[in-house]
Amino acid sequence: MESVLDETDLLTQLITALGSPLAIVLPQQLARNVAAFRDVYSGHRLAGQIFYAHKANRSSALVRELAAGNAGIDVASLAELQHALGAGFAPRRIIATGPKNRDLLWLAARSGITVSTDSLAELSELAALVTKPALSPVPVQVRLSEFTSTGVHVGARRSRFGVPAAAMNQVLDLLDKHPGVFELSGVAYHLDTIGLSEKAVALEGCLLALDEARSRGQRPWSVDVGGGFGVNYLADGDQWDAYTSALSQAVLGKREPLTWNAHGYGLRAEGGTVRGSLQLYPAHRPVAGAAYLDRLLQTAAPQQRRPLGQLLLDSMYDLHVEPGRALLDQCGMVLASVLEVRDDDGDTIVRLDCNARDVSLEEHGVLMDPVVVHRAASTDARPVQAYLFGNLCLEADLITRRKVFLPSRPQAGDVLAFVNTAGYFMDFSATQALRQPVARKVAMWREHNAWQWCLDEQYWPVRTGVEAA
Amino acid sequence: MRFEAMTDVIGNTPLVRIDPAVHGLRHIDLYAKMESLNPFGSLKDRAAWNMLLPLLSRSGRDGRTVVELSSGNTAKALAVLAGMHGLSFKSITNRMKVPEIKDLLLLLGAEIDELPGQAECLDPTDTGDPLTRMHQRLAGTGGDHLHTDQYFNELNVEAHLHGTGPEIVKDLDGRAPDYFVACVGTAGSSTGVATALRQHHRDVQVVGLVAHKSDFIPGIRTIDEVHEVGLFDPGVYSCIETITADDAIDGLLTLVRRCGMLAGPTGGGAYQGAVRYLRAVDAGLTERRTAVFIVCDRVESYLSYVRDRRPELFGQLPRRNSAATLTGADLAQASTVEVAEAEQWVTERRGLVVDLRSPFAFRALHIDGSINIVDELFAELLHGGLPFGRGQSVLLVCPVGEKSARYAALLARMGHPQVRSLDGGIIAWRDAGAPLVRD
Repeated sequence: MESVLDETDLLTQLITALGSPLAIVLPQQLARNVAAFRDVYSGHRLAGQIFYAHKANRSSALVRELAAGNAGIDVASLAELQHALGAGFAPRRIIATGPKNRDLLWLAARSGITVSTDSLAELSELAALVTKPALSPVPVQVRLSEFTSTGVHVGARRSRFGVPAAAMNQVLDLLDKHPGVFELSGVAYHLDTIGLSEKAVALEGCLLALDEARSRGQRPWSVDVGGGFGVNYLADGDQWDAYTSALSQAVLGKREPLTWNAHGYGLRAEGGTVRGSLQLYPAHRPVAGAAYLDRLLQTAAPQQRRPLGQLLLDSMYDLHVEPGRALLDQCGMVLASVLEVRDDDGDTIVRLDCNARDVSLEEHGVLMDPVVVHRAASTDARPVQAYLFGNLCLEADLITRRKVFLPSRPQAGDVLAFVNTAGYFMDFSATQALRQPVARKVAMWREHNAWQWCLDEQYWPVRTGVEAA
Repeated sequence: MRFEAMTDVIGNTPLVRIDPAVHGLRHIDLYAKMESLNPFGSLKDRAAWNMLLPLLSRSGRDGRTVVELSSGNTAKALAVLAGMHGLSFKSITNRMKVPEIKDLLLLLGAEIDELPGQAECLDPTDTGDPLTRMHQRLAGTGGDHLHTDQYFNELNVEAHLHGTGPEIVKDLDGRAPDYFVACVGTAGSSTGVATALRQHHRDVQVVGLVAHKSDFIPGIRTIDEVHEVGLFDPGVYSCIETITADDAIDGLLTLVRRCGMLAGPTGGGAYQGAVRYLRAVDAGLTERRTAVFIVCDRVESYLSYVRDRRPELFGQLPRRNSAATLTGADLAQASTVEVAEAEQWVTERRGLVVDLRSPFAFRALHIDGSINIVDELFAELLHGGLPFGRGQSVLLVCPVGEKSARYAALLARMGHPQVRSLDGGIIAWRDAGAPLVRD
């Protein structure tokens, strides 16, 4: 990513030609991230599939690059499934998760992908689609929720997804009612938490559910632990500590605000005491991505008191994961043109030709300073503290409510690069409100010792190779 | 000494001088207030009892549950006190970080409720913090809870204002110390003691100790966390200093090894922070001064906390016959058998088949006729010597043939001539289509 940022001329030409904002994806980095997960698998001697959660980014280049490797893909809509099939994924490498309409279930059943089912009703709906006319058995995995813990009650947020673990017998009854229609491949959980102890309870619960299925004559072989492995956005933990301390002080009014209109990011002052909790993604996460998976597998199962990875291996189960953000670490950035820089009531304002939905940092609580790409040599090399305004006619349209600290003052015409935005932040919520354009997307890759580029939809991982050079 | 109830034993703890040869301060007498000698083991016994007492006199308390947001000494004291008065106790906590305390609470009959961890996909519109969630939960259950609310309850401060603080003055012959050093947790003890001392001597210097932000020290909050505490008033402290987990353990070691005080990390941190602060003061002094710090609780509950951070303190001799000591040459000696041969071996019942996987996995699927000794247990057996005779043939089975090969090598090194490892493990066996049974 850093070497892309050095390509000042190329980046400024691209944004001139294709408009601001402009999204850039780096498909080659994906392979490295997949490899890091594979290393954890081999370390624990485990087999299974790494399903990229497509919802993290709409890019075709990223999906096609993955299709060229050995990873799988997790789709959550009809269009995502079509996209994955069209990008070259064989059905056995595709799994459908999340809320599904009938059309998605129809295509899933016909193409033979695995369906990760959310409810008994969905399973019944799928059965009707499979039996009329009769198709070969559809691989299904059952997503479970509401796992019970013993000893210490481990709380978990209520989820809209999944069959309660205690209702596994009803799933098995339903499978018995439709012999030859389904092939139970395994069970799954997906918890929206960074806490390991909740996940340990869930994983052990899945093992118990699989055992129940085996005792009823099913032959499941996998556990899918979903995603939520996270990304470390900040190398230096002390910086994060210093910033969050300063933010608490600012909320208490003990220092000048660090945010627009003294926004507290979930903290508020009440009678000299800070209340609330910090609603920010923990920017410094020393154990994230593949390392988090490793930590989870090393965690002891609460009841059997043996590492979860060891239990999976003992039972000969495959481990599936569905990382989104973690696989896209360092895989993309968003560029935006600077329209105006002005000083206003003691604050520096940088107005950009993009809006908060194009770089949805605020929505996900991630605090990343952009990198300034100067078109010409900077005339003012001093650091500057600035607020970043967007291009929507809305008071709330700040790219981030936080004051950002830039190493040199940008000027109109310069470009700000928001790095590491590939997971969720690039186009998950991009909108055409006010008829403002949604960012064009460009794929960049290294070939012949130089950066090459094309529009995202033009990218296929077919290199011209050395022979053509 | 005769008492009617254990609650009468709370308080009146000794004030004990630290030998100057240990701390090295020339002009300062340093005293430890031994709160660890309270009946349930900590300073928190006072606050817990003071906060619970008025709730007990309320009518209709029968069958109710005492609740507190605590994962440490307050929970422990409340669990004991609740049990003494026919009530149950529930501890609501973000995460139980000290395993011994968790087990102790369960032993005392407490219920532990862990709050969910932070969401991975952040929802910025969800502004619920643990305290708010707990209050919601308590309100939602029809008010049959007795909530002691240690972070906001003035009775927490009063326990020390009328107890701990005046006791120190009395033991110093009616004089307040010149320096009081306290770790800040709920801020109840530091605020209460400081206020009491200042009623005697306006100029008492009060040093508040907080934990370094990236560290965890049980019972001490970080500089950010203290601002979330209702009882915390920065005006109480002459200065706030930071200590690390390393400091706390250094102090703990000094107290337990040299002073006869079996203090936990909070007390250790208080000692270390006090000496560091006072050393600078001491250099400029010509007259005698007095300083007091608090030994909050006892060391026994923190053995795993210390072990995690200073494993070398628990240095044990390497155990005999350990797989960890195998060399490359040893491993080369392990004899293995391929699946096809192993199948024959099993059908002809040529010897013992030992499956090293977990009982859970074994129960689900295993080789017919095999016995299950999970690897941890097997390792324990080997420390003692050969678990079967030299004439007994053995086939070891594990998931992928890696662990079984190590144990086969170890057994060969121990002099057993007939131990083999299933090459590729039970996964290779399954993949070859060899039979597996479920009983």
